[in-house]
Amino acid sequence: MSRGTGLVSIVLVSHSAALARGIAELAAQVAGLEVAIVPIGGNGVSGVDSSQVLSALRETAGRGHGVVLMDLGSSVIAVRAALTELDADERARLRAVDAPFVEGAIAAAVIAATGASVAAVASAAEDARYASKL
Amino acid sequence: MPRSSEHAESRAVLPASVALHARPAGTLVRAACAFDASISVAANGKRANAKSILDVLKLGATGGTEVAFSASGLDAAAAVALLSELVAALR
Repeated sequence: MSRGTGLVSIVLVSHSAALARGIAELAAQVAGLEVAIVPIGGNGVSGVDSSQVLSALRETAGRGHGVVLMDLGSSVIAVRAALTELDADERARLRAVDAPFVEGAIAAAVIAATGASVAAVASAAEDARYASKL
Repeated sequence: MPRSSEHAESRAVLPASVALHARPAGTLVRAACAFDASISVAANGKRANAKSILDVLKLGATGGTEVAFSASGLDAAAAVALLSELVAALR
């Protein structure tokens, strides 16, 4: 059922497709090309399309495990709604994390590239909240 | 309680055209994560956890900067040797 590299995927859900794609590109620079980084976003105005989110989550779960990051409020709502549409097995493969969108994505992608577990990748994303940058 | 572990250090200079940002930093961190030892990398008087991309990026090490690795753990010597070689070979 699951194909691919066996690495944890990173799903990025944003109000803005351009933002999600931009972060995905940056994450690919840092983490390399083996990690699947899936950008999902809306047009920046009306929030993200929940059916797109559901497809992405379903595909990700089909490939293995995934960590899901969200930018703001309605992205969280869309992800929560999509998670309820998945079956229990699919849901068990995914972790929606409470993480800063950019920093969490980068940290998660790098750790995912090392072959870490979904729990370790999720922690890396969440721990990004505590990283200072100045 | 671990047996007495090694401690090892090494130094390398970033190639002039390579700053420790995005791709090079990612390469370094992923290589560091393969070792059991805890590893730090220092540049410009600042020290970072070599296994943390956000920490390493914070160093802001520019091309031509000398970086120093310090590691503790059973594979510390192998870690600092490999990481210094890696830094010198970054493109």
